[in-house]
Order: sequence, then C-alpha cells, then structure tokens
Amino acid sequence: MERRIAIKQVLIFAGGMALLPSFLRGAGKVSIQTKNLDVSAEQEKLLAEIAEIIIPKTTTPGAKDLGLHLFVLKMIDDCYEKTVQQKFMNGLKSFEGLDAAALKQLVIAVNSGKASVAEDTRSFYKLMKQQTINGYMNSKYVMTNLVIWELIPGRYNGYFPVKA
Amino acid sequence: MSNLNIEGVKKNTFDAIVIGSGISGGWAAKEFTEKGLKTLVLERGRDVKHIIDYPTTNKFPYEFEHRGEPALAIKKENPMVSKCYAFKEDSMHFFVKDKEHPYIEEKPFDWIRGYQVGGKSLLWARQTQRWSDFDFEGPARDDFAVDWPIRYKDIAPWYSYVEKFAGISGNKDGLTELPDGEFLPAYPLNAVEDYFKKSLLGRYGNRHVISARGAHISQAKQIHLAQGRAQCQNRRLCQRGCPFGGYFSSNASTLPWAERTGNMTLRPFSVVESVIYDDKLGRATGVRVIDTNTKEVTEYYAKVIFVNAAAINTNLILLNSTSTRFPNGLGNDSGVLGKYIAFHNYSARISAEYEGLKQFTTDGRNPVGGGYIPRFRNLHKQETDFKRGYAAGFSAYRSTAMNTSGIGAGLKSELQSKRLTPWRVGSHMMGETIPKESNFVKLDSDRKDEWGIPLLKISVDYDDNDVKMKKDYIEQLSEMFTSAGFTNIKVNDASQAPGLDIHEMGGVRMGNDPKTSMLNKWHQLHACKNVFVTDGASMTSTSTQNPSLTYMAFTARAVDYAVKAMKKGEL
Repeated sequence: MERRIAIKQVLIFAGGMALLPSFLRGAGKVSIQTKNLDVSAEQEKLLAEIAEIIIPKTTTPGAKDLGLHLFVLKMIDDCYEKTVQQKFMNGLKSFEGLDAAALKQLVIAVNSGKASVAEDTRSFYKLMKQQTINGYMNSKYVMTNLVIWELIPGRYNGYFPVKA
Repeated sequence: MSNLNIEGVKKNTFDAIVIGSGISGGWAAKEFTEKGLKTLVLERGRDVKHIIDYPTTNKFPYEFEHRGEPALAIKKENPMVSKCYAFKEDSMHFFVKDKEHPYIEEKPFDWIRGYQVGGKSLLWARQTQRWSDFDFEGPARDDFAVDWPIRYKDIAPWYSYVEKFAGISGNKDGLTELPDGEFLPAYPLNAVEDYFKKSLLGRYGNRHVISARGAHISQAKQIHLAQGRAQCQNRRLCQRGCPFGGYFSSNASTLPWAERTGNMTLRPFSVVESVIYDDKLGRATGVRVIDTNTKEVTEYYAKVIFVNAAAINTNLILLNSTSTRFPNGLGNDSGVLGKYIAFHNYSARISAEYEGLKQFTTDGRNPVGGGYIPRFRNLHKQETDFKRGYAAGFSAYRSTAMNTSGIGAGLKSELQSKRLTPWRVGSHMMGETIPKESNFVKLDSDRKDEWGIPLLKISVDYDDNDVKMKKDYIEQLSEMFTSAGFTNIKVNDASQAPGLDIHEMGGVRMGNDPKTSMLNKWHQLHACKNVFVTDGASMTSTSTQNPSLTYMAFTARAVDYAVKAMKKGEL
C-alpha cells in the first residue's frame, strides 16, 4: 500500500505537474496515478532503470533526470488498448529480478533484436523505447537546450542553404 | 399585462438576426452592424473571446499531458471527431464531442463541428481561392444540379471587399480558372515545390503549382491593425486560436469589429429551434431560441433573418421551421430542402521522395502549407469518363534523419543529429462531388436532442463519378511525380467517409427556378424573402476550391442587398 501514499502525494501537485521543469520531478521518488495499469513500486523502479539504459545520463541529463519512465507509464496507461497494456506489463516481467549488469545485458540484447525472447517481451521493449524517445524529444530540457523548438519562428525560408 | 408583452416584444426586437457566429455569421454581423442595424447574433455554444479564451495558445509541446495525443478514452467516446487531423490535446476544446451532440448516420458521415462563438473559423485550414466561371458555369455545362443564378462578375467585387479586410496572402498568378485577388505578399514555394512547378509547366504547359493562398496576414496593413491584428508569426499553431490574430477568424476579426459599432448583441448558449413564420403576414417574424443551459424558450424578432448555422445545421433549422404555409420546412415549396448535399472528395493522397536539391532545406514554418494545384482536368472541355475534376495540395519538406536503432549514449547523440533526409513530397486530392437528390439530410421522426429538437439523419455517400475521379487523380499525380523524377511513390487510398473533408455543402441550394431550388440570386428564400442563407447550405455545386472565402463574399453581398431592400421598404 506504499504506492497509494505515493499516489496521494503526487495528486496534491499533479495539476501543476505539466508546468514543472521535468528534471525537477526527480526519478523514482514520486509516481503517477495510473487508471488502468497495476504497477508496483518495484516495477516502476525497473522501468526507470530500463529507460536510463536507453537514454543514459552523459554530459546532459538522462532518462531518470527527466522522469521519462513516468511519461512512458502515463502514455501506456492513457493512450493504448487493454491488450497492448497487458502485453506491456507481461513483457516487463522478463526484466524483473536481474542485477544491474544482467539487466543491462538483456536490454542491449533485446535492443539488438538478436536475443530470442518472447513476443510480449519484444512488444514491451518496442513500446518502452518508442515512448522513452518520444518523452525525451518532447521534454523541456531537449526542446529548450538541444533540439530547439520555437513557439514563434516569425519567418519562413524555402531556400535555406544546407551547410556541407 | 398587454403592456408588459409589448415591452417584452420591444426588448426582443432587433433590425436583423444572424444565426451563427462562424465564418459567414461573423461577416453578416460585421456588415449589418457597420451599416447601423441593431443586430442580434445567436450562437448555440459558449463565448470564446479573442486571446482570453485560447487557453493552449502559448503552450510548449511538453506542457501537454500526452504531448498532443488525445487519450484513448476520449478517442473511443468520440470516434467521429477523433478522425479529424486537428483534433489534438491543444485544440480538443474547440470541437464538438460526438457524445454530446448525436446524429444519425444512415451512411457513414463524419460530421465535424465547432459549437462556440467563432465556430469552425478558429479551426479552419485557412485556404482561400476564388471561384471562376469555370466553376459557376459547371452545372449548366456538364448537366448536373441546376444552373447557378450568379456568375463570377456578380461576386468578384465582393471577393475583393472581403479579401482586403480578412487579409489573404497570394501571388497574382494570372490563371483564368483561379482568378487573382487583393493579395498580401505570398508565402513562397520552397526549392522542391518550385522545382515541381517548373517540371509540370515544362511537361504539360497547363498544369500549375502556385503558392497556396491563405487567410494569413503576411504583411499587416492599416485595416488589419485597426482590427487589433498583427502579422502572422509563422507559428502554425492556428487551431489553438492566434494571439496575434495572424489568421482570419470571426473571433479575431469580424466579431470584435461588429462589437465596436455598439450595434451587436451577441447571445451565446442560444440554440435556434426554428424560424417563426407568420402565416397572416406572409413573412418570417423572428426566431425561437432555447437557452442551452436553462432550456428556457425565448422569441426574438427582426425584419430580416440570416441563417448561418453552418451547412447541415442550417438545413436542420429550416426543416424544423414548419407552419401552415410551409408544412415541410421553411421556404420548401420545391421539396428540395435537405437534398443535393455534396462535399469534397479528399479520399486519396500520394507521397514520394526527391533526391535532388539537397543544397537547400526550409527554415521557419510556412503557415499556408506550401503549394496548390488548381483544377486542370475537364477544365476547358470534357476529356475523361467522369464529370468535373479535382484540385490538389502539394508540399515538400525535409526532416532530420534519425537512426533510432541504437541504445545508450550513441542513441542519445543520434537523436540530436542534424543530418537531413532527402526531400519528401506529398499531395492530397480535393475533388468536386456531384450534388444528388439521394444525398440528403432529414429530421428523425422520433429521436430528439436534449433541447427537444429532432435529431438529424444524414444519408450521404460517394458515387461512381467519385471513384473514377479518384483513380484519375492517383494516375495523373503518379505520372506527374514520376516525370519530375520523384521516387518511392506511395499512394494512400484513404477511403475516408464523407464529412471528414469538413466541406459539406448544399441542401438549401441557389437557383433561378423556385420549383427546383430554395434561394434566389441574392440568397433569399424564394418563398420567404426576409430569410437569407449565405453559408455552405446555399451551394448549388461544390467545385474544387476551399469554400470559406466564397461564403464570406456571398454574405457581404447579401447583407448589402438586404439593407438596400429594407431601406426601399421591400423587406
């Protein structure tokens, strides 16, 4: 029932959450309220670890800094059919109970497509990676620091020269 | 008691009533109030004040819970509107939810609606092309529908009139099939759009790619500044409502203008149940309005009534306005009311790649989207086994090339790649459909909405002509793409239901003969001269142009006529 408490804490400021710089949300400290998925605190931690393997912290923030696993959960919970959600939760199980090194090895193997794994595992990973990237590219950090998104371009050039 | 009634009637009496506040209703409001008439503007939805009521307008993508994607539960609850390309987290609040306003589909029809002050003028794709006599003479030449009671010369000065105020970008292209207008500077074609233009001219001589003409202020004139509008900032977030007033909407333009005259009374949450016809006086005297919140019924009166509820709802109101004189709907002596509904065939698109011109890309955003290919098929003479033709959109762009197969630090740096893909090009068809008696809307005899108004049954479908035309579009565009050296050509035979084009038209068509049409050349009901229809319902045929500009011009022209007729005591 620890998760319930975490949920309550989150609800208090959930309304303003979208406006907070995502890196301030912290990783693993808070979780989001899910409507359809039944995710344990352990599983949530695991998702954070997998996301961090996909987008690690380097000289710039990684998945944990940006809370990307929470975004993935939010998307799977709200935007996908039940069957997809079930596959996602099922597939996640194949990554449970491993130490850090083994987890990383498995994720890399699944990513390469070489590992012979169950269909659900593959589905889980495909979606996990896709939404982690989606969350990363659409994070405030990336959109304001790395791949700048302009609210007000104020210009259009149809013959913009490409630097060789 | 009788004194009170007289006072009540007086309080509820205006010079003019306008039903609807979208593109055409907004224009009617502006024209009437500017000419000094006390005007009641009725809107069934809530008020949307320019800028103040655009809650998402300045949000960044990461401020949307699902980064724009509507949640699955919302999509499932709203299967029709969810198909609309603009129905996203940033604009959902401006669309009617299917569940809240049901209708009956005898055949699949995606009815996309915006019930609020400004209507769909907040959401439109802002493409504006004039009609020419190739369009107005279409039914007569090709033997369908009925002859339009007007020609290009009747409407040309009114196109100029509305274009100057609304702000339309474009080039003077000198094409008789797509007359030039009062243009602000065009948004230029990009390198590959330009290349395709030249390629087509070289090969065909008579197929053109022009800069799309759009209702964007590419250069603000005094008339736009006076409306409180400024130059378009190339945001391409138009569906959220524009804080600069960079594109034309009722909210940014005509309604505030009407408001400033002091002659407008705008009444939101007011659904019109019917137009009141007085059998003794032989004219319409007003409208019966239901307050959508309290359900209270109020009657309002005026000398002249403009029905601008958007094509299908205008049909509904007239069908529901019955009297001893008009048992089948107001002005419906001919029996054509609700029939000959048509739309634009948007059911095919085509895409490809181009390996050339890699020294260029685009920078910033083009608010009108790119290029436009005016109708070339069956233009001067019949040349195919189907009637009429299609216009097409055309645009080219490059994206960032990203290889997402990696993982870890490698993937991370790849996601910041500045490498570009080759140019990608795309086109979509905008085909004319032939109005037919068998494509109709009518009132359901049993089921009613929450306000006691009969639900509408929609029975509209494609026909053989549409199928043949679509095949021709795919063949011709494939050939045009191939000859330009485009590769990897992919056809998307989208097969979407009618309605999703959001260009539904007709049902209250214009015509010379009261036996076969509803409206005369001034948009007056033949049989009830103080009721006018100037929205999409009045269209006799659809041609291929995006229709909104024509509704604006129709409306300004009809109000001018109505006010002159009133002064002469004719109305």
